[in-house]
Amino acid sequence: MRKVANYLWVEKSGDEYTLIMTPELQDDIGTVGFVEFTKAEEVNKNDSLLELEASKTVLDLASPLAGKVVAVNDKASDEPTLLNSSKPEESWVVKLTNVNEDEFNALADA
Amino acid sequence: MMTQTQRLHFLISYMLQEQGIDKRIPESFEERYSMYRGLANEREARPISQEYLHVQDAFLQEENAKNITFFDDLEPVKDNLYIWQGDITHLKIDGIVNAANSELLGCFIPNHNCIDNIIHTKAGLQLRLACKKIMDEQKRKEAVGRAKVTKAYNLPSNYVIHTVGPVVKNNHVSLMKRELLQKCYRASLEKAEEYGMTELAFCSISTGVFGYPKKEAATAAIEAVRDYIDETQSEIKVVFNVFTDEDYDIYQELLA
Repeated sequence: MRKVANYLWVEKSGDEYTLIMTPELQDDIGTVGFVEFTKAEEVNKNDSLLELEASKTVLDLASPLAGKVVAVNDKASDEPTLLNSSKPEESWVVKLTNVNEDEFNALADA
Repeated sequence: MMTQTQRLHFLISYMLQEQGIDKRIPESFEERYSMYRGLANEREARPISQEYLHVQDAFLQEENAKNITFFDDLEPVKDNLYIWQGDITHLKIDGIVNAANSELLGCFIPNHNCIDNIIHTKAGLQLRLACKKIMDEQKRKEAVGRAKVTKAYNLPSNYVIHTVGPVVKNNHVSLMKRELLQKCYRASLEKAEEYGMTELAFCSISTGVFGYPKKEAATAAIEAVRDYIDETQSEIKVVFNVFTDEDYDIYQELLA
């Protein structure tokens, strides 16, 4: 099941929620040149997930959900343009668990 | 005591010497001012002597004192909201908001008439150095929609809040850009209150070279400020600073 919030897709698979760049976001920011992921193990809603510098803007991307950060897309640190990919397996940002399912369900459908 | 024109000669000579350039310095105040401003705008953020700052501060203090508008003399349009048409660097108020870019070091284009350039020019070189310190600590560029606070140095205001607005191309405002613009206003208000400011003047963020359509920007700005005041029950007084008659009419219509 897929939702959208803060210009990110939120893909639910069991207890794991993967946050993925949307085409609208990719379009708004341009080619990504630098990313730095959060080092936090837990994030609250609207906490920063990553800071990115792209051709059109410098952006602090905020989490649409509170949860535990179980993975970040480390490959994108070395190869930032992965975040411009149309493939979710390349342009994902973080994976969260311990997400309140009601909060997820309250997000807009993608 | 040096005259203003003599001070300019000193400041120009100093900066030319720093660059190792030998150039004729014009005679008139206007030409000297323009040359001085251009050199100061271009100057990288590196330390400068107390001697320079002493003369610069004397010069800017005297210049800036010629045109001051006191916030206390303004009348609100509605509740705690004000519109004021003029040069934001003339306003004596707790804080003014600068429309910065992601480098946060002020405009480097000599004599460029953007708000960032004017604010840095009239505040003095200390402002760029203060911003440099913030950026050195942050170690990366400033994201859109946040706010940083510095002193205002030679400006009549006490503080400058620096915020980076979204850039809009071809008048197309995406929802994200609208939200980012509103984040600029909210983040600035939050910072202002954190620093105990009770009055804050905003320039029209993103509407200059950043291309955000003026009316849409004003609508988003007013909504963001009102939402913030409603949610927080803040008593902060907010000035929407405009430059042209057109901008004034837009805000007047939206606020009334």
